[in-house]
Amino acid sequence: MAASVVTWAGLAAIGRACGHIRSRLLGSSSTLSQVSCLHTSTELNSKHWERKNLIVYPPQQKDEPCRSAEIYHCRRQIKYSKDKMWYLAKLIKGMTIDQALTQLEFNDKKGAKIIKEVLLEAQDMAVRNHNVEYKSNLYIAESFSAKGKYLKRIRYHGRGMFGIMDKVHCHYFVKLVEGVPPKVEQKTGFDQAKEYVEQLRNRTIIHSL
Amino acid sequence: MATSICRTLKYLQPTTCQNIKCAVSLLDVRLPQPVLVPIRTKKRYFIPPAVNVKQKTQSEQEDKARAAGVVVRQQYIERAINIACTAGIFDPYVPPEGDARLSTLSKEGLKQRTEQLRQGAASQLAYRKIKDHDPEFSTKGFPALAQQIFIDAHAALTQFNKEKLHSLVTERCYPEMVRGNRYKTLRWRFIESLEPPRVVHARCPDMISKGNLYGQVTLRMHSKQTLAIYDRFGRLMLGDEDEPRDVLEYLVLERHLVNPYGRWRLHGKIVPAWAPPKDPIIKTLIIPGPKLKPGEDFEDLNYQVPKPKAVQWSK
Repeated sequence: MAASVVTWAGLAAIGRACGHIRSRLLGSSSTLSQVSCLHTSTELNSKHWERKNLIVYPPQQKDEPCRSAEIYHCRRQIKYSKDKMWYLAKLIKGMTIDQALTQLEFNDKKGAKIIKEVLLEAQDMAVRNHNVEYKSNLYIAESFSAKGKYLKRIRYHGRGMFGIMDKVHCHYFVKLVEGVPPKVEQKTGFDQAKEYVEQLRNRTIIHSL
Repeated sequence: MATSICRTLKYLQPTTCQNIKCAVSLLDVRLPQPVLVPIRTKKRYFIPPAVNVKQKTQSEQEDKARAAGVVVRQQYIERAINIACTAGIFDPYVPPEGDARLSTLSKEGLKQRTEQLRQGAASQLAYRKIKDHDPEFSTKGFPALAQQIFIDAHAALTQFNKEKLHSLVTERCYPEMVRGNRYKTLRWRFIESLEPPRVVHARCPDMISKGNLYGQVTLRMHSKQTLAIYDRFGRLMLGDEDEPRDVLEYLVLERHLVNPYGRWRLHGKIVPAWAPPKDPIIKTLIIPGPKLKPGEDFEDLNYQVPKPKAVQWSK
């Protein structure tokens, strides 16, 4: 089976082209994240994660609300499974950085130690380079894992059969934002039921008397 | 497959035939017969890698390669470097204490001015040397030019125009101006000059070889400027855009005199020992302090935050 060689640059070009086409189709709606119907996948975000630290915003006027600092950090080609890393990434999403560090310290998984290192690096970067005042005043806005480049090896089975073993690697991305984490509205079952009944009542029957 | 081996004749004694015959006739010594010594001269194009080879250090590997007959041509790592500026400020000017406070009209001010006008013999020699190489230099006309260079350089820094900045500022000064400012927004304005700028000091050091002259001239400038630094997110880090401040600066400009295309460029600033401390930045910082043992309290320690010594330094 001939494997087609697709280079990283090629993939980047395809990704960019998809982005352009999508933005043109949307028309006036500018950024991907503002349109709620569009799913921002990890593939589109992960290629330029390091570059997001390099954008410079123009100086703010005195009456504008203070823009919160955003720090993007990632680690590439971690020797761990992306699915197992996802559990940890989902655990710390939305927590304050101190809370996240505590949780990861007492977690038994291998990825916890790695994510903790990444968070400490990002915190240090924030204080040194990105003018963040208090290192505890950060919360984790986004945290996700993505598939890295796999190495392929042969797994020997009986009777001369073999399988191709993937040595899995993953990337881990985190975005720290300065400030207090936003409160997530906890929806109770009763609220959901009420909403459902509202929806049923708002239906209109067309072509009726 | 037999490899070709050249056979050469090798005389055991490095003398000519005539000498040998003479020696033989004189001494009556029986010379040994010429011996044929095989020498391998066929070049091996491919030496297969040795199996079960242990991890050898670089020097051991080199020795082995040399023993096997592999000759590695000597690598010349040469790179031409053009030095267009000196590494620092030679014999820096020490601004007298109270330079900013005394006005020229008072008696003390006049005394200071008369002292400064003489400016020392070394500076006069230096002016002469500079005028030899650069006939357009004059103590009267230079300050205006220098002030213009200063204003242009800082304007280029706000726009971050690298090419223009390199032409107005020496290579030693460039990293000090630019470090840390890549992802920040600077807003700087030169409002007016409070006193006419004055040349106070000059030196002509030479670097590496004698005759490679560089001219360094110190300029005293008293002016009003506005500075505001915004970080990556547009938040104010330092300063105020609407509040002009009086600034007394000692600028050092340098030129490579021997080079006909040399230009006067900003080389550095001298910060005197008696300079007032600068304003703190808006955000709070942690100063690393002493490590506390489990029972101790920080208040009980009476820890004095170490203050930096008041020493003249140049930036």
